Amino acid sequence: MNIRIENRGVYGMTGNVSQAGAEAAAFHPRAAERTGSVFKRRLSRDKYLYLMLVPVIGYYVVFKYAPMVGEVIAFKDYRFVDGIWGSKWVGLKHFRMLFESSDFWKILRNTLLLNVYNLVFGFPVPIVLSLMLNEVRKEWYKRTVQNLLYVPHFISWVILGGIFISLLSPSTGVVNWILRSMGIDPIYFMASTTWWPVVYTLSSIWREAGWGTILYLAAMANIDPQLYEAAKMDGASRLRQIWHITLPGIRGTMAILLILRMGQMMDVGLEQTLVLQNSAVLEVGDVISTFVYRVGLQNANYSYTTALGLFQSAIGFILVLSVNRIIKSFGEKGLW
Amino acid sequence: MKSRRSFSAKTYAAVNYAALGLLSLLTLYPFWYEAASSFSSSRAITSGEVFLWPVEFNTDAYKRLLDDGQLLVSAKNTVLVTVVGTLLNMAMTVLAAYPLSKKRLMGRGGLLLFITFTMLFVSGMIPNFILIKTLGLMNSYWSLWLPALISTYNLFVMKSFFEGLPEEIEESASIDGANDLAILAKIILPLSKPILAALSLFYAVGWWNSYFQVLLYITRSTKQTLMVKLYQMINQVDASLLNSAGGSEGASQALLTPEAIKAAAIVLSVTPILCVYPFLQRHFVKGVLIGSVKG
Repeated sequence: MNIRIENRGVYGMTGNVSQAGAEAAAFHPRAAERTGSVFKRRLSRDKYLYLMLVPVIGYYVVFKYAPMVGEVIAFKDYRFVDGIWGSKWVGLKHFRMLFESSDFWKILRNTLLLNVYNLVFGFPVPIVLSLMLNEVRKEWYKRTVQNLLYVPHFISWVILGGIFISLLSPSTGVVNWILRSMGIDPIYFMASTTWWPVVYTLSSIWREAGWGTILYLAAMANIDPQLYEAAKMDGASRLRQIWHITLPGIRGTMAILLILRMGQMMDVGLEQTLVLQNSAVLEVGDVISTFVYRVGLQNANYSYTTALGLFQSAIGFILVLSVNRIIKSFGEKGLW
Repeated sequence: MKSRRSFSAKTYAAVNYAALGLLSLLTLYPFWYEAASSFSSSRAITSGEVFLWPVEFNTDAYKRLLDDGQLLVSAKNTVLVTVVGTLLNMAMTVLAAYPLSKKRLMGRGGLLLFITFTMLFVSGMIPNFILIKTLGLMNSYWSLWLPALISTYNLFVMKSFFEGLPEEIEESASIDGANDLAILAKIILPLSKPILAALSLFYAVGWWNSYFQVLLYITRSTKQTLMVKLYQMINQVDASLLNSAGGSEGASQALLTPEAIKAAAIVLSVTPILCVYPFLQRHFVKGVLIGSVKG
């Protein structure tokens, strides 16, 4: 993946140092002032580039770093009238309350469980799909199927959630209509704590499985066709070819995507959860982000839920750093 | 022997083709079901008769939605949010990605760290909410646009695309005395059409589909977007269904948005995306691949 920070480029420096350095040396023999002059030269040479970056840096300072500073309210009793700095410091009070509450363990469990379900059941689906697609020889058929499978990825969770709710409705939905015709009593899937996680996982698969094939298919396209030719000569069946050639060929992609998923174990899609959730399934469906929204914003428990958010961010940060280290230890280029 | 193998290979292929065809139909069926429902009578839907085709065909649901006028207003709002949002996104992403793609830029490493850190440590919902409130942006679309000016991921995608362009083109232009702004506008951007298309589409789809930020920051009903209107409709149905506890829903029927209207609203908001999708999907795929290939 492409998120990586290169070392400060030396390109352009060598040429300028000797030139500017020679000029500067005539007037300022001291090294410090010489570098100062190089600094100014490079600043003026790239002045338009720096000009472009001014609004960009402004954006990151105001909308990314300022809210990080705002996290201090987790250690205060925040009230709008007092402002962030005027509110009273309370130390770790909110964290203590949080860790002592049963809510915290419940939403932490739900957050992790929904992620685990998505990983266990959702991760293999795009791999199987791309193996199947890779076996298709008719280009037009392959492309058509791909394009149809990608569609849900572009549809809002509001719509996907709405569709799921009506499909699964106990009275009007098709699924229960089928169950009824088989003599099974209708099930209220969306309000059942047993079925809700299943529905949640299926809806994730529906939206992302097709889209997830893109990277695998690209990796499969890079496999040397001669390997298949050789296997065919040796009489290997298609399934054996998949096992011995295709799967090893996408192992790297699989590893990277798997590890990246592990790095996001603390995040659950807020928009998805919010639209699928209802009061009957909070026991299994309430996750960190929906809890922060409901308890924090709607009931104005700002500091308490900021503490929860900060906990989530901190764990997420540690996870991503560890993941990056793992990827690097596999000899792959890290995320940065 | 030979014919048997080709026979089994043929069966294998046939099963594979059929399975994939079935899966694509399964993926699309929910949309089809909504479309069929939207043209059916409320009675037919509640008695569970709609499966593949509209039952008791009528267009009342669409008429009621369009007569209501609110949907049209929220659709206009969504278009405004999407168009302005995407333009702002693209302008800012180019402004960020171009300088950062120049290895000669002093302080580049520090700037990249400064930006990458915001991807690793994500600040929470409440501090962001307080910020928007403090800036007085509530009920203004700037509350949606400003916090999302740049998607850092897209920024890195564009940066690695710029880094992949041959340096010679720029060098010859800078010898001719063109400054960085002119080089960007006259040489780089025209060469970057594929990535500009892909990222604009990613941003635009994101704007069209987003609803949570609107739910947070826009409370005035005349400024609501399509997705929030839909969200409210779905929630309303859901809440009244819960009250009637699944069983006797007949009693609460009058209270809730009839399924047909909900289905029609879903069809109307999906249609724009489905209409442009076939023409644009290859750009999306290209965008993903550029993003994954290391620059």
